Amino acid sequence: MGAPVMEQKRKERIDRGIKVRSETLYALSSWEEIGYLITPRVLFIAAFLLMPILLSPWPYWSRVGLSMCILALLAISFDFLANYVGLVCLGGAFFYGVGGYTSALLNTQLGLPPMLAIPIATLIGAFLCTAMLAPCLPLRGIYFAIVTLMYPLLMTRLIEAMDILGGTEGFRGIEGFSSPWTEQYGLIFGLFFFLFGLRRLVNEDQGLVIRAVKDNDQSVRASGISVTWTKTKAVFLASLPGCFAGAYYIHMYSNVGISAFALDLSIMPIAATVIGGGGTLIGPVIGAALLVPLSEALRDFGSLRIVVYALVLTGFVVFRSEGIMNVVSRKYQQFERWVKV
Amino acid sequence: MLEAREVMVFYENMLALNNISITCPDNGVIGVFGANSAGKSTLMYALSGIILDIQHKEKMRGGERITLFGQVLQDGEDITDLKAHLRARRGLVLCPERRRLFPESSVAENLAIGGHLATKSQAKETTEFVMEMFPALKALRSRAAGFLSGGEQQMVAIGRALMAQPTMLLLDEPLLGLAPSIQHIVVESIPQIRKERGISVIVTEQYARPVIPYVDYAYIMENGSTVMEGTREELLDNPDIKAAYFGC
Repeated sequence: MGAPVMEQKRKERIDRGIKVRSETLYALSSWEEIGYLITPRVLFIAAFLLMPILLSPWPYWSRVGLSMCILALLAISFDFLANYVGLVCLGGAFFYGVGGYTSALLNTQLGLPPMLAIPIATLIGAFLCTAMLAPCLPLRGIYFAIVTLMYPLLMTRLIEAMDILGGTEGFRGIEGFSSPWTEQYGLIFGLFFFLFGLRRLVNEDQGLVIRAVKDNDQSVRASGISVTWTKTKAVFLASLPGCFAGAYYIHMYSNVGISAFALDLSIMPIAATVIGGGGTLIGPVIGAALLVPLSEALRDFGSLRIVVYALVLTGFVVFRSEGIMNVVSRKYQQFERWVKV
Repeated sequence: MLEAREVMVFYENMLALNNISITCPDNGVIGVFGANSAGKSTLMYALSGIILDIQHKEKMRGGERITLFGQVLQDGEDITDLKAHLRARRGLVLCPERRRLFPESSVAENLAIGGHLATKSQAKETTEFVMEMFPALKALRSRAAGFLSGGEQQMVAIGRALMAQPTMLLLDEPLLGLAPSIQHIVVESIPQIRKERGISVIVTEQYARPVIPYVDYAYIMENGSTVMEGTREELLDNPDIKAAYFGC
């Protein structure tokens, strides 16, 4: 507000013509529209597919690339629960640890090869996680966050105190992957599967119901849908990428210990989601792609690393709480111009 | 005196308020009538300063861009850029649409929160005034506000707004969803507030009939613009307005 109206101008935000056209059948009218639609997707997929090849001269950075995919999976799980289901999960480490230990057991006790142990562990792990979280699903608000925060701590102490699952030592000598290429592409395709699968799901009928639970659970009940059952399904879906990440990781390093339930694994995905942009599912992956290399680059700073980390995160929350992905997609889809009022 | 001069509000590219100018004199009661989407609530947000808060939140969230033009003046002083809580301290208090009580706090606590900045004696005296004006609340003091009926909640909302010691009260759709008999009780508090406490009131409503006897001057809004304004008598004499807003 301020000076007289007539001299005022305001900034107008308008959808780009190409965006509007490519939402309809006109998307197929020319290569320009097709290109507009698929370029970001192709770039994203190509970047991941080329990563192992480009990083192959530097084994250390290849590993960093894989850690990034692991974090991306955990972040997708967090983003899905927080921004589509409305459940704030502070225990990504729980999914991760359960998946990891399950796969370790399948491999060391039953002798299943990694490529079989990982998918089975993902499913069994997700069932276990869902069953353990089920009691707090009928509740609203902070309860889910508290329980998910407690479970990883509980598991750590339980394993330590009762000396089960290998105790503090954990399991060693878990079978690795047959070649570095299988290892890298298996993880990348796993990430694609969960990312694009969940992105598809949230726009389907099932996803619609899940999103509605976040907005207004009473109205969902009024539509004859069981809120608790919907949440249960959603938690199962969210545990899948988390358990997959844990199961995959232990085969990469051939061991698993109580560090699989470390608090870092719950906090980092939240940071990745905040930076990348919540509610987009792609955003968390981008957040992870920035955070993990940053964190490696800061390794020399020792424990000060966490300070830089915290500052970056706080900066994003305070100044750009919508996250990178939301800003970028808006710039891609809309343009701005000054207009006279 | 409260004055809005040529206020315009854009929600993204949608014009919600188009060049609105209204004046509310000291100890006056002003009505703003219009259908849904007329811009009544946006006008109340602009007057109370809540719009600045919404604007900031949307900006941080990456949501709608809200653009504001024009001026809001209180007693000749420009308060356009003053935040909502500072406007409330200057006596410009909003009683928001759909009441927005603190549902888990009791009625007494709701009132106490409203009177947080008032002195102890002011708070006590205002509570007594509210309880006298709405005797139904007396028995409900310790009940959680979220479990009260719609009418009782509206009474608490008005009470809470009065606790902040306003000189000007902005009542946004106080009769929303109330039974005619309850509407009566709520609407009769307006002249009482004016007479006994010297507070000016700006009240918005979709259906003007229950409110019109108590306003001095009214504005009729449609699609963000004022289409007609006048004293109570002028509006009641206009057959078109009568049919559209007074249902008679």
